[in-house]
Amino acid sequence: MIPGDFQPQKPTGTQLAKLGVLGVVLLGVFIGIVLVLTFVISSWLGRPVIFGHDGPDQPIEFPHETHVEELGMDCTFCHRTVEKEAAASVPAAGLCMTCHSAVGDDLEGITKMRSLYEDGRSIHWVRVHRVPDHVHFVHEAHIRYFSEKDGVEAKDVCATCHGDVASMDKVQQNRDLKMGDCVSCHKQNNAPTDCVTCHY
Amino acid sequence: MVDSNKWGMVVDIDRCTGCQGCVVACQSENNIPINLEEHFNQRRAIQWIRIERYWEGEYPDVKARFIPIMCQHCGSAPCEPVCPVYATYHNNEGLNVQVYNRCIGTRFCANGCPYHVRFFNFWEPEWPESLKNQLNPDVTVRSRGIMEKCSFCVQRIQRSTRESERDNEVLEDGDRGLNPACVNACASNSLIFGNFNDPDSTVSKMKEDAMQEGGRGYRLMENLGTDTNVIYLRKVDEFVVEAPHG
Repeated sequence: MIPGDFQPQKPTGTQLAKLGVLGVVLLGVFIGIVLVLTFVISSWLGRPVIFGHDGPDQPIEFPHETHVEELGMDCTFCHRTVEKEAAASVPAAGLCMTCHSAVGDDLEGITKMRSLYEDGRSIHWVRVHRVPDHVHFVHEAHIRYFSEKDGVEAKDVCATCHGDVASMDKVQQNRDLKMGDCVSCHKQNNAPTDCVTCHY
Repeated sequence: MVDSNKWGMVVDIDRCTGCQGCVVACQSENNIPINLEEHFNQRRAIQWIRIERYWEGEYPDVKARFIPIMCQHCGSAPCEPVCPVYATYHNNEGLNVQVYNRCIGTRFCANGCPYHVRFFNFWEPEWPESLKNQLNPDVTVRSRGIMEKCSFCVQRIQRSTRESERDNEVLEDGDRGLNPACVNACASNSLIFGNFNDPDSTVSKMKEDAMQEGGRGYRLMENLGTDTNVIYLRKVDEFVVEAPHG
């Protein structure tokens, strides 16, 4: 061993302890950053990124599949105002009762719906598609434009934004429905992009 | 049928009785929060349209003058160039538009406006529980910290434009669905709304008639060159105020 040569010192016990603490802290910070990023990204996308992206739980598990694919009902049969008004209405329990006063006796959801109907209460569906308050989306105008353009019926237009609702277990949002989404579609279709078209 | 619309209003001061019906109609149509006494005392009350009152003459020959004042939708608006975020701009229908979601509340526009028709939301708007269901769903409820002003009830313009397109009809001048709430509420027809680009519309004819030499028409603060879309018609006095006989 040459005198003056560099010899790595053996770490003392306190130094090792400090390193350990530093490692734990760094790990904690890393996990924290990942959690924050997950939260930020999922709130930006409007849906969870880790636990899949099923729609929210509804008070009654309404099977769109049974009604639309098996029975062949139109979207517009229940969401009645969609061709005439700004909003696509969700029907009251009374409309369900036109059929379900007679059919579906042994199903849990039907029993629940009937008891709500008899008490004169409404079903508190969880809203899936929501744009901010300062955005005024008009279903009627969009349905009219696309059904005229493509020469299809109103019920075939819905999937443009809402996706294939009939095959969804729980209804979930299909497009991100942010302003960029709206504006790019408006530009493609030569629709007005004046702010006051939607914001008033 | 005209290519583009230029919305505007004619206000006949001679007909105005100062009943404030337009003010009430505007407050309820446009979800304007209730102005309490302390809001007025702080000069922070929000009134998209207001009736200004002036006294003329001396007792006993006193005359009350009423002037309804709303956003003049200026062709060259002083409020527009000062906005750092383009929250207020002029659209191709002659409207001075306020975009609530862009506004960051600098209040430069309110300082620029010579008519005092822009209002800042100093508080989160509140309504009593019983009035929550009367809010107009077609109008955004403005939150604290943003500017607002008369929009010529653009929600009604949008709706009637859409409906006329749907039914393949020409947008009818003076239609109640198109008219702003104040115009429909005016009992003496002193407010008339319409399209200045259409030479056959009521407002165009009135403007042409009033703005010629010797006509009753004038614009508020015309010397500022704001090129407003609201035309006022001067009051006609049947009896000129004179000093009482000695």
